[in-house]
Amino acid sequence: MDLGPFEVNNSVSCRLSSQIPSLCLEQDCCLGIDEAGRGPVLGPMVYGICFCPVSKKENLKEMKVADSKTLTEAERENLFEKLDEAKSFIGWALQILSPNTISTSMLQRSKYNLNALSHDTAIGLVQFALDSGVQIFVDTVGPAEKYEEKLSKLFPGITVTVRPKADSLFPVVSAASICAKVARDRVVKGWNFAEELGEVDTDYGSGYPNDPKTKAWLLKYLDPVFGYPQFVRFSWSTAQTLMENKSAAVHW
Amino acid sequence: MTSISSDSLIRLQLPSAGQAPRAPVHLMPCEIEHNGPARITEYFSATVKDCKHEQTVSFRGRGLKGQEVNCPQGYTGLILKEVNRPGSEEEDRTVRVSSVFDKLTYWNLETPPSSDDTIVMAMDWPDLAEAVSADITKGNLKKILSTNQIIATLFYYRYMDP
Repeated sequence: MDLGPFEVNNSVSCRLSSQIPSLCLEQDCCLGIDEAGRGPVLGPMVYGICFCPVSKKENLKEMKVADSKTLTEAERENLFEKLDEAKSFIGWALQILSPNTISTSMLQRSKYNLNALSHDTAIGLVQFALDSGVQIFVDTVGPAEKYEEKLSKLFPGITVTVRPKADSLFPVVSAASICAKVARDRVVKGWNFAEELGEVDTDYGSGYPNDPKTKAWLLKYLDPVFGYPQFVRFSWSTAQTLMENKSAAVHW
Repeated sequence: MTSISSDSLIRLQLPSAGQAPRAPVHLMPCEIEHNGPARITEYFSATVKDCKHEQTVSFRGRGLKGQEVNCPQGYTGLILKEVNRPGSEEEDRTVRVSSVFDKLTYWNLETPPSSDDTIVMAMDWPDLAEAVSADITKGNLKKILSTNQIIATLFYYRYMDP
């Protein structure tokens, strides 16, 4: 996974993908979608799709992919390498939504909420796979029935299954969740601050608002005028409350 | 020297030629309740993206689009600082020129700056005002008309329309 294209400009959204296996152009494929980093106040949210021919489903199962949340970081890295090596029949694509994209979308004058952003991102990835010639046949994932309807309408001819906990039920979704989580972790770990802040303390914990390390980091890097570097999601209430209390008020 | 009320004066201390430093100026589409230094180079300038004629940046999580605007020819922008804050309104006030600018970056929230924006139009005003109040001779009319479309249009209405 080459994060280079994202790291060149980490204030925008970026798509990364594997080579499309030629087998996926010839045979019906199943495709899984999952996301990583929806909750954290720090870093990007990553959407991932993974696809493989229905005929190779067993091979995918044998790789023992599981919901990324039940795996350790080392196990995820390991499984991602295995998925990436199975180039002949497994393809993946990721959309990295930078924290700046999340902030500016959610704080836009005509509100663009996180759900809409998520749906559009997932749709964009499915479209990317279709445009690449992948013969999608069976399941995808998300949170609710309305979403299933929305996707079915957008992609007639594809059976869409939106199922909670799909990341643990369908190997192809587990695979997608691993790709997304691995990318999110790597991006966060190696975050290249566009701001000229010198050495930045990278001990920001999980990035979740209730993590004491994240809280301490947010207090340390609060600027009275600018608030935060673009690594922080300004639209998160955690960040907004801190800025309200400790930074200059800004009126738009 | 400008007076704001009948009782007090504001004195402007001009720097000797070329003394005041040139400063980059950003005109923001929001009010920031802050008076004092800001880490503009570190947080703002470092994150500005230049794309063709448009610049983008974000401030407090909002997307801004910007454009460089030049001061009208023959004009210089001044950044003034009050030397001593007076205790009462009756006292005279003194401001000094802390820096000068001949262009500024004008930022709009989400939408790109356009020639319909007041700040952009304001920069055309001195030219326009001069043209409107100029004595018309055959010679300079042609010159004025050729300099600026807006002026030309205005002249058309003022002098050519029957």
